Amino acid sequence: MPEQHRPAFTRALVALNGAPSDAVIVRLVAELARPARAELIGVHVVEINWTLPLDADIAGSSDDAQRILDLAEGVAERQRQPLETVLLQARDVGAAIVDEATERAADLVVVGLPFRKRFGGDFAMGRTIPYVLKNAPCAVWVVRDPMPQEAS
Amino acid sequence: MFVLVVGGGKVGYYLTRELIENGHEVVLMEKDRARADQIADEIGSVVMPHDGCEGKYLADAGANRADIVAAVTGDDEDNLVICQMARHHFDVGRTIARVNNPKNERLFKHLGVDEIISPTRMILGSIEQDIPVHELLHLAALGEGELELIEAHLQAGSPAVGRATKDLDIPEGCSLFALIRAGVAAPLRPDTVLREGDKVIAIGKTECEALLHGQLIGEAEAVDAG
Repeated sequence: MPEQHRPAFTRALVALNGAPSDAVIVRLVAELARPARAELIGVHVVEINWTLPLDADIAGSSDDAQRILDLAEGVAERQRQPLETVLLQARDVGAAIVDEATERAADLVVVGLPFRKRFGGDFAMGRTIPYVLKNAPCAVWVVRDPMPQEAS
Repeated sequence: MFVLVVGGGKVGYYLTRELIENGHEVVLMEKDRARADQIADEIGSVVMPHDGCEGKYLADAGANRADIVAAVTGDDEDNLVICQMARHHFDVGRTIARVNNPKNERLFKHLGVDEIISPTRMILGSIEQDIPVHELLHLAALGEGELELIEAHLQAGSPAVGRATKDLDIPEGCSLFALIRAGVAAPLRPDTVLREGDKVIAIGKTECEALLHGQLIGEAEAVDAG
């Protein structure tokens, strides 16, 4: 297939963190995935601190986690794009996303960069995005929230 | 098994790597952020960039459920504090400390560290085994540190040469139990006659060392004269 006709991705892993931007990201990626018949995998990672064993039953019984996945699934459905949802628990979100992308042979990872109102408002990169940018084996898209009106 | 390693120097780094390779759950605490990041880059997200001497961070690292805490920093005082907190505050089943200064070994034992590893002592022991010395060699500390495993290399001038072990005046609390002769180990019997070049392995209380030295090596003055 000529380079210009090749889809931008065939299997994308969308990192879901429960922020309002999740819906925006899923809609955006679903729109791009549908014509290319690409696969979408929505992943939410519940971070387990070291005081608990990694296999502690946290994610499975978390209503919040399930709500995050359901919301993403609903958005994708409205775009008529199937979305497989995956719930993981790990010590580190970034490492879990990279591991999952590697295991699934994803050719794209999409992460959101939300605007945080705390501390005067900022786009807090945190640890996860730099980790994914540095370690993901495939392309990474960072979708930044729009700048809020009052902050611009 | 869940192992909490404190100290991300060479020892802590390789210890963590080996433990992970052997299938154990490990968290490594290293207070130097740059070093912690470097290790995390190499072995993954098992590193906490915090000081293990602080109880709050030990708690965050999961000391409450650790099977073993290994304090392997380059600082004896830190290692002692970490092991004591692990033992008394978090009720950790087994504490292991690296002791850099052999003089601190007894203090660590006295204060309840389960196992002490002294690289200095090990290297010293190894060096002493390869050269003839007119001293007792300390092979290991046993029990709570009150017992020592000792080797005596009998040389010309030793009062023990030519005598049977039953004829030696071995202090109470000490036991001679093995003989290494021409590289072959054998149990030491009461009628075994000792020869020059023999190595005698003994176990005994540390306070008996001077008497044992007198019987197996000889008095310091006599040895110097020889």
